[in-house]
Amino acid sequence: MAVELTAPAAPARRVSARHFVRLKLRVMGNNFRGQGWRIALFVVGVVVGLWLAATGFFLFAAPGLADEGRYASMVAAFGGGLMVLGWLLLPLVFFGVDETLDPARFALLPLPRRTLVTGLLAAAAVSVPAVAVLLALCGLVLTAAVLGGWVAAVVEVVGILAGLLLCVAAARAVTSAFASMLRSRRVRDLAAVLLAVAAALLGPLQLIGISALQETDWSRLTGVAEVVGWTPLGAPWTVGIDVAEGRAWAAPVKLLITALTLVVLLVWWSRSLESAMTGAASTGRAPAKAGPTGGAVAQLFPRAAGWAARDRFGAMVARDARYWWRDARRRANLITVAVVGLFVPVLVNLGGAGFAMDAEQGFAPAGSASSPLLVSLSMVFVGVLAAVTLANQFGFDGSAYAAHVVAAVPGQQELRARMTAFSIYVVPMLAVVAVVIAVVLGRPAWLGVIAGSLIATYGAGLAVNSFVSVLGAYALPETSNPFALNTGAGVAKSFLTLLAMLGTGAAAVPMVVAAALLGDIWLWLALPVGVAYGVGAALLGAYLAGDVLDRRQPELLAAVTPRR
Amino acid sequence: MSLRGLAKAFDGKVAVAGVDLDVPAGSFYGLLGPNGAGKTTTLSMAVGLLRPDAGVARVLGHDVWRDPVQAKRLLGVMPDGVRLFDRLNGAELLAYNGLLRGMDPAVVDQRAAELLDVLALGDAGRTLVVDYSAGMKKKIGLACALLHGPRLLVLDEPFEAVDPVSAALIRDILQRYVGSGGTVVFSSHVMEVVERLCSHVAILAEGAIKRAGTIEEVRGKRSLEEVFVEVVGGRTATGEELAWLSN
Repeated sequence: MAVELTAPAAPARRVSARHFVRLKLRVMGNNFRGQGWRIALFVVGVVVGLWLAATGFFLFAAPGLADEGRYASMVAAFGGGLMVLGWLLLPLVFFGVDETLDPARFALLPLPRRTLVTGLLAAAAVSVPAVAVLLALCGLVLTAAVLGGWVAAVVEVVGILAGLLLCVAAARAVTSAFASMLRSRRVRDLAAVLLAVAAALLGPLQLIGISALQETDWSRLTGVAEVVGWTPLGAPWTVGIDVAEGRAWAAPVKLLITALTLVVLLVWWSRSLESAMTGAASTGRAPAKAGPTGGAVAQLFPRAAGWAARDRFGAMVARDARYWWRDARRRANLITVAVVGLFVPVLVNLGGAGFAMDAEQGFAPAGSASSPLLVSLSMVFVGVLAAVTLANQFGFDGSAYAAHVVAAVPGQQELRARMTAFSIYVVPMLAVVAVVIAVVLGRPAWLGVIAGSLIATYGAGLAVNSFVSVLGAYALPETSNPFALNTGAGVAKSFLTLLAMLGTGAAAVPMVVAAALLGDIWLWLALPVGVAYGVGAALLGAYLAGDVLDRRQPELLAAVTPRR
Repeated sequence: MSLRGLAKAFDGKVAVAGVDLDVPAGSFYGLLGPNGAGKTTTLSMAVGLLRPDAGVARVLGHDVWRDPVQAKRLLGVMPDGVRLFDRLNGAELLAYNGLLRGMDPAVVDQRAAELLDVLALGDAGRTLVVDYSAGMKKKIGLACALLHGPRLLVLDEPFEAVDPVSAALIRDILQRYVGSGGTVVFSSHVMEVVERLCSHVAILAEGAIKRAGTIEEVRGKRSLEEVFVEVVGGRTATGEELAWLSN
């Protein structure tokens, strides 16, 4: 039978951005259905967002409230510029862009690209961060109103609305472009690691930046602010201020700059959207590598774990050690720990403000700023940071953990093996940190205290995180998009991490107290006591948490298996 | 394997409502059911991956939930929709599973080499399992389940996404395994495969066993597909609706 396909009876109705927004709200609503904790997390997210919005509002409104016209354009240009940069970079750094509406799902629908882009943009603007930012930016409107009356305020409203669209478009365009660039798994893994390095460096750079700012003459920055105000980073935010300061001609020009940037971003986004829509499914197979060397068992054990016995414990150590390197997510964590663990204590101990100057004259020992107590504290921080990486160690494995359940792996052995494998990387790293800190401070005699606090905290942290990882595991998304994050997982993750860090910090208190009370004799006692404390705590943690794990294996598997 | 009253509900929604099933030793048992019937849930509870709300699962006399270590020693499992430790290559994965089961390294080496060879995975060399095709992943999963020489093999959808050549290979391996005294339980919704391979079959629908027995008992004079459709219900032909499809 010949099937004659006719045109649809009724002409297709136009699809507008409104449909996308409604779809997004519906998807969000359905996500909450019957998931009390998700609603709770969302509410927490909203509260945090509102709090940040209020803070931002008062920062932006400050020049207006204080009637300090001088600082208005500076606040607008720098604050707004940072906002754009944040929208640009944060999704990349934290691998989180809200994929509630995944473009790939629209691939089969007959939608013009323009409709799709505007629709997705509108849907993206309906989110907690976007609303929070909008509220914060209202501070600028207030400033403009106080300084220049209602005309300036109206112009500023137009400015911040355009600016917000710019922010959202920038975030989408960049992540979309990256996602399609990162089609192959290898490139993706590499990129995740590079981003982790960048993210890890953000903190130290910020500290350096702040210390540099403290010594800078603020009035000199007005010129810089003026220049920034003419770039897309600052243009949308400064229009109202310009009107208020009598430069009304600047407003249309700056709005034009914003609009042009927005158009460029949207065109870029729609280009990469196309390839993301059609190619997202393919993963690209890596070519087969050279043939195997040696037997299967010999292949499993990396050189770093070569000492391990060829039994169950050894196999788990070997596998975990391989995973810390081969799994991009884990490697990214490892690198973050290494970079932050090295930079933060150096900065803290040298004193934030003095750092910039000291850097020019070589690392002069800033003896007055640091003490064994301060050093111990900063080492506790590093130990906490290193150990907290394991807070969701089972989540890294995801449903692959089923292999352990099926083989009835004893929990205590499992936890000990995981600790050992992680320590293969972390203990040498901690040793480097200890030596570097001692050298940078010019206090070789403190090496014992430094290493002792580090090992003690790290060991206690392993114990605490064993419990957290067994009791509070959550699933990480199994997706080809490295930027995807399960809705709500971000908040849950921060809670757990915070909990684990607090617990570890509490467990490390004895070492800090000893450093404060015992004086010079502690310099000699710290290392042996710290090592004993750390190893003992870790073993005890594995013993106790292993028992819990034995009883909870299937529940843990269910917790780390992503919902499909 | 014997299951008694296995039941599981997710968030108040009943997935499996009391499954009773006896799998005789040495049988080749097919578990049939439409999508969402509870096949995966049942098998997961039977092998210790998912804790049942009620009921008992026994493997060769050992209670899976009371005496898991003994029961799991005798079991080989290939779950569906579960990741392998896929950042290892094929040989590493087999070695890992073998050692995890407490096997002698020399035996692991020898069996892993044979399995990779037979399943034509040797060519993949050091390619990580994550980069394998779907069919290759099924094959390496089967190899992992077979490695320690289990007495009972539980396979969830072993023939899904497998090309005809690999499927024939898997069939041959499973038939040899049953021929030498092993027991196989597998789930599927492909009638042809079940009809061709199985000595016994059970039909699972809406979380309960509707028919079970030897394949002759279940299908009688008719084809398995007819029986299946009758048991499961649901329409298989269109009526007056969808007229616009053919105008």
